[in-house]
Amino acid sequence: MATVVGGGNGEGRRAVQVPPGPLARPSQRPVTGPELTSPPLVVRRREEEETVVTFPHLVWKEFLAGLAAFVFFMAVSIQINAPLLQRANTAITPNPAKAPWYFVGLQELLERFPPVMAGVAFPTFVIVFMILTPYLDRNPSRRPQDRKVAITLFTIYACLAVAFVVIGVFFRSLAFNWDWTMILGHPGLSSPV
Amino acid sequence: MSATPREASPIRAFVAQIWGSIFRHGLPTTDKVAARTALTNFFLHIHPVRVKKSAIRVSYTLCLGGLSFFLFILLTITGLFLMFYYIPSIDQAYQNIKDLQFVATFGLVIRNMHRWAAHGMVITVWLHMARVFYQGAYKPPREFNWAIGTLLLLTTLLLSFSGYLLPWDQLAVWAITVGTNMAKYAPLVGPYTRYLLLGGRTVAQGALIRFYVLHVIALPLIGFLLMVVHFWRVRKDGFTGGL
Ligand code: HEM
Repeated sequence: MATVVGGGNGEGRRAVQVPPGPLARPSQRPVTGPELTSPPLVVRRREEEETVVTFPHLVWKEFLAGLAAFVFFMAVSIQINAPLLQRANTAITPNPAKAPWYFVGLQELLERFPPVMAGVAFPTFVIVFMILTPYLDRNPSRRPQDRKVAITLFTIYACLAVAFVVIGVFFRSLAFNWDWTMILGHPGLSSPV
Repeated sequence: MSATPREASPIRAFVAQIWGSIFRHGLPTTDKVAARTALTNFFLHIHPVRVKKSAIRVSYTLCLGGLSFFLFILLTITGLFLMFYYIPSIDQAYQNIKDLQFVATFGLVIRNMHRWAAHGMVITVWLHMARVFYQGAYKPPREFNWAIGTLLLLTTLLLSFSGYLLPWDQLAVWAITVGTNMAKYAPLVGPYTRYLLLGGRTVAQGALIRFYVLHVIALPLIGFLLMVVHFWRVRKDGFTGGL
């Protein structure tokens, strides 16, 4: 549906809906008619996407999303306290000593690869490769069916990243050794299912 | 009918003048006024006047960029409250956090919110990156905004990481010890980088003040600046919308 924005009779009138016929082929008849007494500022063709005014449509959605997020975080914060352990003591090393969860994936890499690889080469590579992604990906299409390689590569990266964090957080205990019991419980203490 | 006509009331005129001086337009009852509202309001002019219907579907952006920004604001506000009580000294920091939890009114909830929103922001920023990737929204002309985004992701991680040390409890100090040990492995510069970060060889007072300054001043400023450019580019490059 072609939409004429602004101009026209000005205030008091929302966007005018013009029959698509004449507008779709611009060289034909000029647009005149009872609803248009002055030329429109912008004429959007039928082929163009439909738009809405940002205010209030988008602003309203943003407000609702913000409100929902606030209520969510307020509820969580009333229910769950942020951790606070003993006062720091450099003489007592906790076991295991873990990095914050978003870096625990790196810690996991350190377990498996030489430090220069895990601590330096991999992260640097990921950052540089990420910044270069738009320049390396020469495929102009944005449709998923045309981007099988890109999507596959990213999905592999994303799954690995998530998996390493999950392993580090949930499957590593004393001395950062692998430990099923954090998730599955101690077989000696509870009867197996 | 009152004796004075409504238009002539000096109070109404005064109120109208105040309203007019602040908002420069009436209530947005028509598209034209709505457009002017977005154009002339400082906080709204970050938006285009019109947006593609498909671009603002919740299912398209999943609100993730916006939520990241919202969490950044929430963190700034809660962080400001925490700063009233927090002293970056290894003799006092831990007790300050205890006081926040048990003495200061609403201190506990504010601290919790700051903590959970920080974790939340790492997640929303990462997911926002994933949605941008899956929709190919980094392709020309948005290559550079993707690069800015990468820096924003790094800034977000560093903000979270620098804040982790501040409570000065066992969790904080040892997580930072493990984290900064990773920097050690860089060839040649590694040990120097770690020394620079910690202001010493161990996680002590030098590290606390450095992390504090990075956390409350340097990184938020960098993040804010990057966001300003990021949003500016979203406007100038146009928002992708519908596949
Ligand atoms: C603090 C972190 C960030 C904030 C606050 C932020 C905010 C936003 C907002 C509000 C938008 C508008 C659309 C939307 O809501 O999705 C957007 C778009 C965009 N962001 Fe971010 N962003 C952040 C990080 C990132 C990262 C990590 C990347 C990628 C590496 C990125 C790349 C982009 C791109 C390319 C667009 C344009 C998307 C389009 O036109 O469809 N941003 N960002």
